[in-house]
Parts: sequence; structure tokens; C-alpha cells
Amino acid sequence: MRLKIFTLLFSCTIGLFAQEKASISGYIKDGKNGESLIGATVSKMGTNIGTYANEYGFFSIALPKGQHVIEVSLIGYQTFTFSIDLQKSISKTFELSEEGKNLDEVVITGEAEDKNVRSVEMSVAKLDIKQINKIPALLGEVDVIRAIQLLPGVTTVGEGASGFNVRGGNIDQNLILLDEAPVYNSSHLFGFFSVFNPDAVKDVKLIKGGIPSHYGGRVSSILDVRMKEGNSKKTTVTGGIGTIFSRVSIEAPIIKDKASFIIAARRSYIDALVKPFLKSTNALKHADFFFYDLTAKFNYRINDKNTVFASGYLGRDVFGASIFSFNWGNATATTRWNHIFNKKLFMNATAFYSNYDYSLAFVANNGQGFKWKSNIINYSAKTDFIHYTNARNTIRFGAQALMYDFLPYNATGTFANGTVKFKADKRYGVEYSAYVGNEQKVTQKFTIEYGLRVSMYTYNGKGKAYYFRDTTPNTAMALADTKTFTPGELIKSYVNPEPRLSMNYVLNKHSSVKASYNRMAQYIQLISNTAASTPLDVYTIASNNLKPLLADQGSLGYFRNFKDNMFETSVEVYYKYLQNQLDYIDNADLFINPTVENQLLQGLGRAYGAEFYVRKSKGKLQGWVSYTLSKTQRLVRGISNDNWFYSRYDRTHVLNSSVNYDITKRWNVSANFVFLTGVPGTFPNAKIQIQNLNIPYNTDGTRNNYRITPYHRLDIGATYAFKKNETRRYKQTIVLSVYNVYNRRNAFSIYFRTKDGEPLQTEAVRYSIIGTFVPAITYNFNF
Amino acid sequence: MKTFLNYLVLVPTLLLLSACQDVVQIKLDEGSKLYVIDAFVNSLPGKQTIRIVTNDSYFSNREAPPVSGASVLVKDLTANKQYQFIYNSNGNYVYNAGLNDSMAQVNHQYELNVSIDGNTYTSLTIQKRPAGLDSISAELNDGKGGGFGPPRDPYYNCMLWAKDKVGTETDYYWIKTFRNDTLFSGSGDINISIDGTNGPVSDVPVDSTDFTPPITFLGFKNYKFGNTCKVEIHSLTHDAYFFFIQASAQINNGGLFATTPENVKTNIVTPEGVKTKAVGWFNMASVVTKTKVVK
Repeated sequence: MRLKIFTLLFSCTIGLFAQEKASISGYIKDGKNGESLIGATVSKMGTNIGTYANEYGFFSIALPKGQHVIEVSLIGYQTFTFSIDLQKSISKTFELSEEGKNLDEVVITGEAEDKNVRSVEMSVAKLDIKQINKIPALLGEVDVIRAIQLLPGVTTVGEGASGFNVRGGNIDQNLILLDEAPVYNSSHLFGFFSVFNPDAVKDVKLIKGGIPSHYGGRVSSILDVRMKEGNSKKTTVTGGIGTIFSRVSIEAPIIKDKASFIIAARRSYIDALVKPFLKSTNALKHADFFFYDLTAKFNYRINDKNTVFASGYLGRDVFGASIFSFNWGNATATTRWNHIFNKKLFMNATAFYSNYDYSLAFVANNGQGFKWKSNIINYSAKTDFIHYTNARNTIRFGAQALMYDFLPYNATGTFANGTVKFKADKRYGVEYSAYVGNEQKVTQKFTIEYGLRVSMYTYNGKGKAYYFRDTTPNTAMALADTKTFTPGELIKSYVNPEPRLSMNYVLNKHSSVKASYNRMAQYIQLISNTAASTPLDVYTIASNNLKPLLADQGSLGYFRNFKDNMFETSVEVYYKYLQNQLDYIDNADLFINPTVENQLLQGLGRAYGAEFYVRKSKGKLQGWVSYTLSKTQRLVRGISNDNWFYSRYDRTHVLNSSVNYDITKRWNVSANFVFLTGVPGTFPNAKIQIQNLNIPYNTDGTRNNYRITPYHRLDIGATYAFKKNETRRYKQTIVLSVYNVYNRRNAFSIYFRTKDGEPLQTEAVRYSIIGTFVPAITYNFNF
Repeated sequence: MKTFLNYLVLVPTLLLLSACQDVVQIKLDEGSKLYVIDAFVNSLPGKQTIRIVTNDSYFSNREAPPVSGASVLVKDLTANKQYQFIYNSNGNYVYNAGLNDSMAQVNHQYELNVSIDGNTYTSLTIQKRPAGLDSISAELNDGKGGGFGPPRDPYYNCMLWAKDKVGTETDYYWIKTFRNDTLFSGSGDINISIDGTNGPVSDVPVDSTDFTPPITFLGFKNYKFGNTCKVEIHSLTHDAYFFFIQASAQINNGGLFATTPENVKTNIVTPEGVKTKAVGWFNMASVVTKTKVVK
């Protein structure tokens, strides 16, 4: 039925080519550095006819032939207005200049600033890097992921935990894209820092709901990070010296206005700083612990119709001492080609490679020990077409093939009399998807975006497939059969239609209501039964035993701006229903287990909540406050007496605020305050003594029956910009910050133990990751 | 796995120099009554003990409430023999096999019967074969190198030299270490092994190899000149090994990478319809032992 409606709507859009029209198309760029401006608006003044520049800065707008006044605008830039007598289609590159520091000087027409009200997008948070730079950060390190955690609907289980949870979704349900290539582990040093070098990031967009059909592959959110292309006007060097990292980036034109590159690098040097203070007897004296990343991008505008990009990321965390070592890292490489077929049809073709690998070793002085590694590789090719059909319809369509090449483990044990190898079969899967979607302005007030994505997944040989007999819930299923498959042979396939729908009804100039629905399918999940995900957690792909994860989400929102768009506000409610979410049998053996799938359970999830958001993005005082009331639960056969239980990352109340204030031209001060209900925990109601061990026990068998104490924290920061040297264009800033100002010991977890040396005394322990305030100073430069 | 994670957790702790643990007071509910049957019987001659208690409040800080008046019987199903355990005190039921005799035989099947208030709780197990124990060595450490903290007086570490049995069968062991006849029984002292290794290698035969570190480090304990170090290697069933894995995870479940708390499994069967359930474990072990006077 849904399909029928879809077809009907689609055919309606075709008949609209009546009036004689011409189009204006082209790119919108930053006049200073030539960076394409994502999301800039092009509109006919005084109407709601308009369009947005896409992810590559391209736009196309069809207008009736004749006289028009056109505005090109984007928050933070001076609006460019021109009049045109449009008789034939034209193509043009627009360059916008940044607003002056003093905001009063520029007259802002306000067309782009009410985008939150006018756009069909909802449940979307966009942060540009200038905003992220102003947020006080842990150890003074500006961080994309930690900034995102200040937004409504986004939480984490605690400091030091990798990743983030969006609207009750697990951390593996976020598709993190760096220039379209997926990044599997977005963290350095567990969750303290993210892998994105802020100096190389242009734009960050988080989509929590109403996900358009051109995205797919994860069920809870899309974090789309776009890298800078590199300054195409002049050579620029940016860098900083911080408490943890030092970073430097160089961007420069290769051919002015045509080709440019950026290379950005960071390395932590805490190891170098700590070493002198360690005594030679300390076991960590010879330890390595550092992380680094390297980000690079190159672009070449061949002609008006063709642009090519190549970008890459390489990052690694290394920790080790005499007998143990760990390291893990991501590598991604993307090549893209943007082609303009004609004024109406834009194409992007992308090929990417992504590799996430991790390894550990435990080797004694005599060479005996254990080494282990695992990796997941993606190869993908995709194309996306945008057809600017007419002023009312923009159709996007495309297709993608994504191959998973996955090594669960390859381990070697070295013993006195030989070596034993444990190598799992590689596992292969291919995810195919095709989509089509249309953003249609039905009336002046009503916009609808509807689309369908169809994903198909095949689990292929070569390798063994295991078949299990069903058994009592929450115990390992017995192996029934094993079959061997030849290379490429189909073991199991799944097809999932994923309908998407978003609607916006504009009530008046300042307010609108929006609604959206999306179904998402996900064919890869993280196997992790620990409180925080460890770098050793293994991903697994859908198979004959594991069904793909599915999510249905509906959201409803009211958006309203006040005082000439000075204040943006919104209220959104959502309901999400998840199927085939992973859980684990008791005492699961997840490490080096060829039949790990019989340790896994698949269950249901539900999450619902309301998000309230107020943001001020003009004037000396800027920032936002958000409050989220939500509930996230799971139902898994055999766990918690077959009742719904709170998930590990459920937070009832979340209050986030982040503000910054320009005191003078040189001084900016900022602050964050967050309050989150404590996460649930499973607490014992008894202990049992066996072989002198005091084992915590819950006679009711309920999971997550208590909550730990609330988490709250205040951070402050101040930035001082040195007086600019007019002749040398040299910019310098000093950033001072204090994280956790009032020195709160926020609980990460509460656990139960027997007091050391007193075998009868048991106690509860609050474990805090950061137990003190953390001051930091960072020096940044740019020339 | 857990060992690796413990090391891993050190890193952020050191880096931020601030992670901390505080004992806190919290109020917990009271659970319903359970019988706890602690039946680790072994092949050593002399007294064998099975302990029956009930559960207790988590913060009770006392010996668990004993259960007296139970009938405790171990049946050797292979040899068709029975051993009655007699109540002694504090929930302990004892059978004395005599100074030169053992009630536990390799590869025999055993059944445990515990009758309380007319209900009989049962369990079945099989006794696994013993490991080969060569010797214990003691090594002098001058106290200056390695480890955290300031230098200290010289001390000895003991090291185990043992062999896993030949054959494709996977062997599971529990290594108990004593200093001057006192068992190291803290929550960090559970030293269990698969085929002589520390266990990430599950269910894969690694045979007739020497026991490997960190199993052979015997918990890095310190000994003074003249102390005795005693080691007992008990054979375990596959399920008993995973009972210790699970128990160990539950009693050391702190930190960034804590797992979801869960109730330990039991191999004690409560008869259908009986209100008070029994938990605990029954294992019959083949034991090999050696003692070393440290010098």
C-alpha cells in the first residue's frame, strides 16, 4: 500500500513542466579560501522559492523566464543579492564573504537564518567548526564528537566511553562518515578524543531522524563529517600546541581557484611529557602510549562540469609496555568525481576503502605468549544523482555496493614446544542498495520529502557457516550442522525496503510543524558486553544466524523562531522501535570463538522521548540550552525474566547547555553545563559464598534495577585573540579551559567487591573516570 | 581477556592521573532465600568438606548463615559406593576418607544428594584427569626493578613448572597456591587454566605443553626466606572452569570495561516445584600437589 502511494506521488510530480523556465546553477564558495559552502541558500527574494547548495556546494534552481531578484546567503556570511533578467539558463560560481566581527555592521536579510523553520529537515543538528571551536573542551582539545554530545538526543554512558548514543541507539548504530567513508572507531584514547582533526573539518551534520533515502546502513543516526578542500586562494598554515596533542595543517592552492590540497596531522605527546617524571624502576618507563592521525585531501576542478577529489585518513592508537601492547586504527581513502551533466542533473560518483584493524600482544621475556589481531575492511562504489527537476521538485537517486571483508580473529600462541595458530575464517558480505527520493514543494506552505531505499545483503562464502539448534533462552545453542561454502557462494540473503518520509508545514513566517518517519536496516553490529566499548570489541556481519537490525522511527516537531530569528526553538518527540538488537547470553565467550554466534541473542528495543531546544546564534552572547526527557528499553528472551528492562544507556533527564560570550574583540568566554540522570546498573540483593568468594547475586534476576548517581559538570573556557599583525596576517589565540570546574566525582559505575584483606566484608565502590577538575592551556596559530 | 583489559584500563588512568574509586554507602533490597551448596571435593586423603549455607544480605559482613540438619550424600556411580557427609559446624559437612585413602577416582561419575526439609537437591559430575606437576622454583628479586612504587626489601617469587596431559581432550585446571599453609583466596587469586594456558584459547587442543605465564607466576606473590610455597592443581570439568570464569568476572567487575552483572550458573538441580532454590557447584577434582621451602 505504501508503495502505491509513493508511486502516485511520484507521477504527480512529472506533470509540472508547464511554464517556460530557465535555471541558475553553479557552486557557492567562500570568497576568502575557495571552500565550497554546504547548505548555502539561493532564493528568489520575498518568496519561498529557493534551494540549498548540496554537500559539494552545488545548486540549481529553475525559475520562470523574466526579471528576478536573487539572494545567496548563509549564516555567518554577508548575503549577496543581485537582479537578473533570466532568458536562458546560466551557470555561475558565487563567492560569499564572511561577516565582519562586529555583527551590527551587516544587514542580515534573514532568509537563510530561518532555514530551521523552512527546511523539511528535522532532527538534524549542524555544527560548523567555528562553533565547535568555541566550546570549552577537555584538556583544551576541540573535539567534534564531544561537541555532538552536547546536543539534544545524544548521550554517552560516561567519560572515557567510545562513541555516542543517539535517541536510545547503541554506539554501533551511528554511521560515521568521513568524506563518505565509514569510520568504525571514532575515538582516540577510548572516548576522550575523536579521530577528527578539527583543523581539517569543514562541516558536521548529525541526522537523528527523518533520515533521507540517500543515507543508509545504520539505524540510529548519520554523522556526516566533510573535510575542507584546502584553500584554493593562498597558502595557509594552521596549528596548535595543546596539553595532549600538537597539531599542524597546511592548505594551499596547486593551481589558483582550480586545484588545492590540505594535509593535517596530530600527535599526542603525553608519553614524552610523562617519561621524565617516571622513575627508572617504573614499569611504564619503557611504555609507549601515543596516538596520531593524518588527514589529507586534494581537489581539482578540471572544468565547470568536472571536479575530482581524493581524500584520506590514517590514525592509530598505540599503547604498550614491556610485556603487553595494543594498537588500533582506522584508515580510509575516498575518491570522488562530481559531474554536471546539464543545468538540472548533478552527479557524484564515489569509491572508497575503509580499514579498521586492532591487535594485542602479551609476550613474556622468553618469547612465550599470545598475539591477536582482527580487522574489518570495506570496499565500496556508489553514485548519487540530483535532478533539479523544477522549482518544486528535486529528485535524488543512486545506488551503492558495499563489500565487507571481515577477519574475526587471527591469533598465535607461542609455547615452549611450539606455536599454535587460531585463525577464524574470513567472512564476506555485500550490501547493495538503491534509492530514489523527491523533495517536493506541494504548496507555498507544505513541503514533503519522500523516498524509498531498498537494501539487499548477501552473506557469502568462502567459509564455514554454522547452524545451531534452538535451546533454552540465555544458554548457548548447540551446534547442529556446519557447511562449507565456495568463494562467492551465497549462504544467506536479506532484502529490506526502507521507506522514508519527511513533511514540513509552514504555519507562518516564524513557525512550522514537521513530521517524519524512517525505516532503516543495518547489516553489521558490534559485539560488546562491557560497560564502555573496548578497542578490542569485534564487529560481526549479518549471517544465517544473525538477522539484520531494523529500526522504525517516527518524529513530530514544532519549530519556531523569535525576535527576527535571533532565537531558534524547537520541540520534537520521537518513538523508535528496534528489532534484532544484539544481547549476550550469561557468561558469554566472545573472544576467539569460532561459534561466537551462539553466544548472542537478538531482541527488541524501544526508545521514546521529547527534546526541547533553544538556540541563540546572533549577537555577542550565543549558545544553546536543550532538555531531553526519554526512555530506552530492551526486551530479550531469557534476560530479566522476559520483561522489558532499561538499556545501559538510558538517561531519563538530560540538560545540556553551551554558551559563549564576546566580551571584547579579543576576549571570548564560554561555558558548558550538563546534567544527566545516572545510567542504570544491575545491583545485587544478596551474596552467596562459594570457595571463600563473596559472589554478588540477584535473586530476582532483574537487569538494570538501580540507577547510579546523576552526572553533572560545568566547564569554562576563555579565548584570547592576539592583536593581528596587519603586514604578516599572523593570527594567534590562547585558549584557557577548565573541565569539571567544581571538581565533581561523577560515577561511571558502581560495583561490588570484597574489601582487601577482610574476606567477610563486602562493599560498594563508586568508580569515577575523572575525579578532579582538569585545567588546560592551548596555543593556536594561523598564517 | 580480562587480564588484557586490566592492563588497558591502566592507560587512561595514568594519563589523566585522576581516575578514582571511593567506597560509597547505598541501600540494597533483600533477596529471597536460597541454599548455597559449596561442594568442591577432591582426591586428597583425609577430610573432605561440603558446605551448605544460605544467601545473605550483600553488606552483612559475617559468615553466611549455616544450614544444619541436611543429609549430604556423594555417590560414586561408577564404583557403586556411597559417602555420607556428617554435619560438623558452621554449615560444614565432613567425610573422612582416612589418612592414606581418597574417595575420588579419575573418570568416575559422581552424584551429589542434599536433602533439606524433605526436598532432595541433586547434581552430577565426572572427575577429570590430573595435570603433571614437576616442581616449584623460587627466584630472588632484589626489589629494585620493575613494578610500581618505591624499591623494597628483597623477596622471592615462586614459579610453577607443570605439564598439561597428552591427548586431544581439553583439560581444565584450578591452581591453588598457599604460603605457609594459608590459601590465597582473595577475589584476585583465582588462577584457572585451559591446557596450561590462561584461557583465551578455548576448546582448542594445545597438548603436552608446559604451563605458560601468567598461570605459572602463581599470582606474583612475595615470599620470605624460609617460607613454604605449596601448590595444588585441581582438575575441573569444562562447566566448573566456566563457573570460575563467571564468578571471577562478578567479583572483580569494576572499571571502564566492566561486563553486565549476571547471576553465576549452578550445576545443582532444584526439584520441580520446590520454593527454596539451591545454587552452588559440585566438582570432583584430581589433585596433584608440591611444596617448596623458599631459599
